[in-house]
Amino acid sequence: MTRQEVIDGLVEILKTVRTIDHAKLEGINENTDFITDLGTPSTELINIAAKAEQKFGVEFEDEDIDDLGSKVENIVDLILKTQAKG
Amino acid sequence: MSAERRVAVVGMGGAFPTCTDLNDFSNKLFSNQSLIREWDQAVKYGKNVRSKVSGFITVEEMGLETIYSTILEDYPEIYIDKLNRIPAGNLSTADIGSIWAMLGSLDAIKMAGWSDAETQSEGTGVVVGSGGGGHEILRSAWYNFFQLGKKTRISGSHNVDRAMVYRDAANVSCLIKNRGVCESIGSACATGLGNIGYAYRLIKFGIQDRVIAGGVEGTSFETFIGFDSMQVLSKGFDPAQSSRPFDAGRNGFVCSFGAGIVALEEYEMAKARGANIIGVIDNYFNNSDGDGDMFAPSFSGQQRLWKGLIGTNGALIPDVVKVHGTSTPAGDAIELLSVVDILGDKNYHISAPKSQFGHMLGAAGSVEFITALLMIQNQKVLPCLNSENLNTEPESFQLSESWAGSKNALNAYRDLLPQETFEKEINRITCLNYGFGGTNSAVSISRDI
Repeated sequence: MTRQEVIDGLVEILKTVRTIDHAKLEGINENTDFITDLGTPSTELINIAAKAEQKFGVEFEDEDIDDLGSKVENIVDLILKTQAKG
Repeated sequence: MSAERRVAVVGMGGAFPTCTDLNDFSNKLFSNQSLIREWDQAVKYGKNVRSKVSGFITVEEMGLETIYSTILEDYPEIYIDKLNRIPAGNLSTADIGSIWAMLGSLDAIKMAGWSDAETQSEGTGVVVGSGGGGHEILRSAWYNFFQLGKKTRISGSHNVDRAMVYRDAANVSCLIKNRGVCESIGSACATGLGNIGYAYRLIKFGIQDRVIAGGVEGTSFETFIGFDSMQVLSKGFDPAQSSRPFDAGRNGFVCSFGAGIVALEEYEMAKARGANIIGVIDNYFNNSDGDGDMFAPSFSGQQRLWKGLIGTNGALIPDVVKVHGTSTPAGDAIELLSVVDILGDKNYHISAPKSQFGHMLGAAGSVEFITALLMIQNQKVLPCLNSENLNTEPESFQLSESWAGSKNALNAYRDLLPQETFEKEINRITCLNYGFGGTNSAVSISRDI
């Protein structure tokens, strides 16, 4: 799975999050920050992570979620790292 | 200074079964209609559920839509406001009851005519509560954790804010951005009136100048089955005949849902800005039975309630008594006999709004407070629907040597209980509500003359 494919999958998840301005999803890239760029309430980040687990067929470690940054590249890294573990 | 402060009601709003808005609610009430329907939720479970009727409100009827989770079975992830009245951020932290509280608050503030600066000041409080704690959000979240063995995070990060005891007040406060107090009073079926009474005291004692106050009971089948299991719900009548306070054939209350929110303001401030004064709160009083019984109504508790409300000089004698009147066998008889013990048997009338929409539990006191204000506005008495036949024999407890009240059968007070709306000069109304735990609440309101 390429990084862009992961980003495309994340956008599909973000479209289901009502508290995000969907117009801002057009130009999303690895440097996009969920909180400062998309205005995502911090309480929604855990919901996004949980949906990513289901969509990409992975289960994150609690510690990885505790340390997760708020940029798109951070969760892309985590998804690919967790997938690689098998 | 604080002793001279008076409290005006300047706004009303809420959620009412089968009604599009407050005007629709008022029109249906004064045309003697019942808002009670057969409930498909109850019918679906067949003989496992005893009562089949309710004054319920669907998600769609409130202009909302449920978005279910894609990763959690049967979990309402968020409710969308299809009419764009509430921002998504506020909806994400709300259960159904909290959304009704927010919508009712917006309507009440609009009617009050408060500016944003007034609403968002330190002088404005929010005091709103609900009676029940269980709804489908918690049920689904717990089922997925306990039964399906899923991680806690799968149910998302909003199970606390959408289920905490004062969720209604918290959501309203976050929406309107007031800077005064934000609290909930919980007193079972007296909750709605208890919150208004507490709000009255906040203004009366000079702690707040304005308060959004009321009670909510969001539609919850989980709440319904709790009461159904107690065998206290009405059974065997057509929906419109199911709630029949004081009628000899009554066999339980109709479990209903709704929201009643009012905007209260210090009287002189409201008057000075030219606000429409819907009514003035004369006094609020509450107490406990003190007889150690969780459920049974108390004649002596209600006598003390009345004396605390109207005082010894009888200055607050009402033209109408808006009773709790649930349609339960024990509750109605004690209540009627306690009213006549204080007021006698003439020169006033009794109105029982639950006969039209059932028992809204934590919302009952506040929605019925609104019906009392509507009676003052319209100068019409709302009826005791279905009070067709009153018992011609004394109740069994009236035959006891220890009984201190009237020994007349309830039928002796037939003339106090109108079965249809009628016009009358109404200057003062007493509102009564009681709750499990032996809690009693009463408020007296007057027309602003």
